[in-house]
Amino acid sequence: MKIVASYSNKGGVGKTASSVNLAHGLAQSGLRVLLCDLDPQGASGFYFRVKPSKKLTDERFFTDVKRFTDSIRGSDYENLDILPSNLTFRDFDVFLSRMKNSRSRLHKALKSVASDYDIVLLDCPPNLSTLSENVFASADAILVPVIPTTLSERSFEQLLEFFAETKLSKKKILGFFSMVQGTKKLHAETIARMRQDYPKRLLDIAVPFSTDVEKMGVHRAPVATFAASSPAARSYDALRHELQQRL
Amino acid sequence: MTGSERMTVFDGAELPERLDGLDLGKGRILLEPAAEEMEFDLLDTFDGQVAAKGALLVAAGDALVLLEPQGLLRQERAAPGFVSDLPQGPVTERLRRLVSPLRTLMRVAEGHLTRQAVRGVDDLDKTHLRGTLWVFAPICGGTVSLLEMAALRGYAPTLARLEAALAPVVEDIHDARGAAQALRGTGASAPVLMAPDETAFRAAGDIIRSQLAVARQQEPGVLADLDSEFLHDYRVALRRVRSVVSLFKGVYSAERTTELKARFGAVMAHTGRLRDLDVYLIERDKYLSLVPEAMRPGLGKLFDRLAAERQAELKVLTAWMDSDAYRAELHGLARLFEKPKRLAKGPEAERPALDYAKTLIWKRYRKVNKIARGIDDATPDTEVHELRIACKKLRYLIEFFTPLFDDPEVPRLVKALKRLQDNLGNFNDYSVQQAALGRVAEDLARDPGSDGVAIATSLGALVTVLHQRQMEERARITSSFAAFDGPDTQAGFRRIFKPEEGTA
Ligand SMILES: Nc1ncnc2c1ncn2[C@@H]1O[C@H](COP(=O)(O)OP(=O)(O)O)[C@@H](O)[C@H]1O
Ligand SMILES: [Mg+2]
Repeated sequence: MKIVASYSNKGGVGKTASSVNLAHGLAQSGLRVLLCDLDPQGASGFYFRVKPSKKLTDERFFTDVKRFTDSIRGSDYENLDILPSNLTFRDFDVFLSRMKNSRSRLHKALKSVASDYDIVLLDCPPNLSTLSENVFASADAILVPVIPTTLSERSFEQLLEFFAETKLSKKKILGFFSMVQGTKKLHAETIARMRQDYPKRLLDIAVPFSTDVEKMGVHRAPVATFAASSPAARSYDALRHELQQRL
Repeated sequence: MTGSERMTVFDGAELPERLDGLDLGKGRILLEPAAEEMEFDLLDTFDGQVAAKGALLVAAGDALVLLEPQGLLRQERAAPGFVSDLPQGPVTERLRRLVSPLRTLMRVAEGHLTRQAVRGVDDLDKTHLRGTLWVFAPICGGTVSLLEMAALRGYAPTLARLEAALAPVVEDIHDARGAAQALRGTGASAPVLMAPDETAFRAAGDIIRSQLAVARQQEPGVLADLDSEFLHDYRVALRRVRSVVSLFKGVYSAERTTELKARFGAVMAHTGRLRDLDVYLIERDKYLSLVPEAMRPGLGKLFDRLAAERQAELKVLTAWMDSDAYRAELHGLARLFEKPKRLAKGPEAERPALDYAKTLIWKRYRKVNKIARGIDDATPDTEVHELRIACKKLRYLIEFFTPLFDDPEVPRLVKALKRLQDNLGNFNDYSVQQAALGRVAEDLARDPGSDGVAIATSLGALVTVLHQRQMEERARITSSFAAFDGPDTQAGFRRIFKPEEGTA
C-alpha cells in the first residue's frame, strides 16, 4: 500500500481537483484506491456526491478501528472508495502515524475488514503547517500543484528548504504545474525558469486552466467521465501515468 | 457495518414494475433502460436437488450460471448431464457439493429471460446499491423475478430500506425452491394430510395414492435411462405401497390384501435385476478399491460384463414398461384407490388413524426389542435378518404416520433407529453381495470365455474382503442395539407411541 499526498501550503491551487481526477484514473487503471478527504470543507467528497459522515467528529474515532472502516463509502466507480471529510487536526496526526505503521490495528483493519488498498490518496487541507512534517514522513510521494507565478515559485522553494533542514528525503516531492494559462507570458517564463532550477523535482506535466475542471462542480464527477478527450482530462491522465512510474 | 451487504429477492412477474422508481425515502430505485433479452434453460435434477439447496442453475446465452443468495458463479455453457461430465469451472465445482453424483442434470424448464441492471441512488443521484434483475418467463409455468442487489461500501442501511420496502408485497415465491416450482409449473408436492380421527382405511388410501403418483412420475426417466435414481425412486414408492398393504393389517379384506400384495409384487419383480446391476455398477470404484492391485483388471472385466448385462436387462424392462399390459395393470391398480368403494374393507378399516397407528408402531417396536434382546455373537444370521426387517417395518410405519405425531422428539427417535438400521443394512448388503457374486461365479463356470480365470480369481479376492466386512458389521450389532435401547429412546417411544390402556 502506497500513500500519496496532494499537498501545498497554498489554497486554491488544484490539490482537490488533481486528487479527485487522479483517484478516478488510478482506480480505472485497476488499482484499488482509497481517497481520504482530509479537508474539513469536504471538497473531494463533494465531487463524488458522498455526504460527510456525521459520526466522524467523535473523539474516539481514530481509537476505534471499526468506526474508521465503517465510515468509508464506496464511490460510483469500481475500485474507488472515499473516506469522507470531517477530521480534526489532532485526529489527522494519529491517522497518519497509524496508516504508516504496518502492525497497527488500523492497517490490519484496512487490509482485512475494509479492503486491501493499493493506493491511499490524501487530499490535504491548505493550512497544514503544524502537521506538515508528519505528512511528509508518512507519504511515499507528495504531489505539489504549482501555479506558475512568482509567489508559487517562492513557496515551492521554501518547501524544498524545509525538507533539507529537517533531513527529509526530497525525492518524495513531485511538483507539477497547475491551472496553466498558455496566453500568459508570466506563466511561460516561470515554467521555463523552474524547470531549469528543479529539473528532478518537477514532473513533465502542466494541467491547463480549463472550464472543464470548473464544470466538475456542476457534474459532481471527475473530468474524464464527462469530457474524456479534453486537454484537462488528458493531462490528469498523464499525471497519473507519471505518478505510477515514480512509485 | 449495519445490516448485510447483499440480498436476493425472489418474486413473481410484478417485481420489475414494483421496483421501477421505488421510493426508498431520500432515494429511489432505477432500472437501467438497456436490457438483455435471451432464451434460458433451467437445469436441475428431476428431484430438484439444486433448488432444494437454495440455488438456481441457468443456461443462457453462452453461460452456465449458478444463482445463490450468497452470489453468482459463472462458466462456459455446456450440455447438461452428470456433474462429473461437466467441464471444469467454478459452477461445476460448486455443483459437486449440491448434487448427488448419481443424478443427471436435465432441462426442467425453458423460456425467455430478460436481464437488466438496477441501481439504488440517493437524492444526489449517488449510487448506494447495484444489482441485476432477472425475469424468467417460462413456456409452461409461471414467471419468476429474481433481484440480486449489493450495497456499495458503507451503504448497507440503504439495502435494509430496500428490503423493508419490498417485504410487504412478497408472494409465495420466497426462495430458489419456490422459484423452481413456479418455473417448472409443478407447485409444491402437497404432503399427505392426516387427521387423528380419520379412518385407518382413508389414511392407507391417501398414502398409496400419493406413492403411486410418485412411481408413475419416474417412468419417463426410467424409459429414457436418464440416471439410475429414477428406477430406484420408482421401486421405493412401490415398496411403500406394498408396505402399507401388508403392514396396515385388517384395513383391507384378507383376499384383497393377498391380491394387492401379489399384484404390486409382480410389478416390482420386473425391476429387481436391473436395480441389482445398477448397484454393482455404482459401487464399481469401491469394489475395485477393496481388492489388491493385481486383481483389479480381472474385476474390471467382470464389471464390463455386468455393464453389458445391464444394457440387455434395460431393454427388457423398458419393453415391458412401455407395453399395454403394464399400462393396463398400473391403471387398474390406481383405479382401485381412486374410488374407495371398490375396495372391500377389513375389520380394522374404521379404526381412527391415531389409535391405529399407535397400536401398529408400539407392537412393531416391541417386536424389534424382543428379537434384538435375543441376539448375541453366537445367534445365527437369520435372526439378524429378521431384526433388520422388523426395524425396516417400524421405520416405514413411523414415516407413514409422521403427520399424526407432531412431536419434536420423533426425529430424534427416527435418528436412533436409523443408526441401528445402517449397521443392519451394511451387514445385509455385504451378505447379499457375496451371494450375488457366488451366482456370478457359477455363471462364469458355465461360460468362462477368455477372461474367465482372471475374473474368477478377482471374484474370490472380493468375496473374501466382503466377508471380512460383513463380520465387522456383525460384531457391532449388539452394541448398536444397546445404543438404540437406551433409557431416553425407550421413554420416548413409550410416551409418544404407547396406546392408552384398554385400546391396545
Ligand atoms: N485546471 C483548472 N482549471 C480551471 N479551474 C481549476 C483548475 N484546477 C482547479 N480549478 C478550480 O479552482 C478552484 C480551487 O481548486 P481546488 O482543486 O479546490 O484547490 P485546492 O484543493 O488546492 O484548494 C476550484 O474552484 C476548481 O474548480
Ligand atoms: Mg482542496
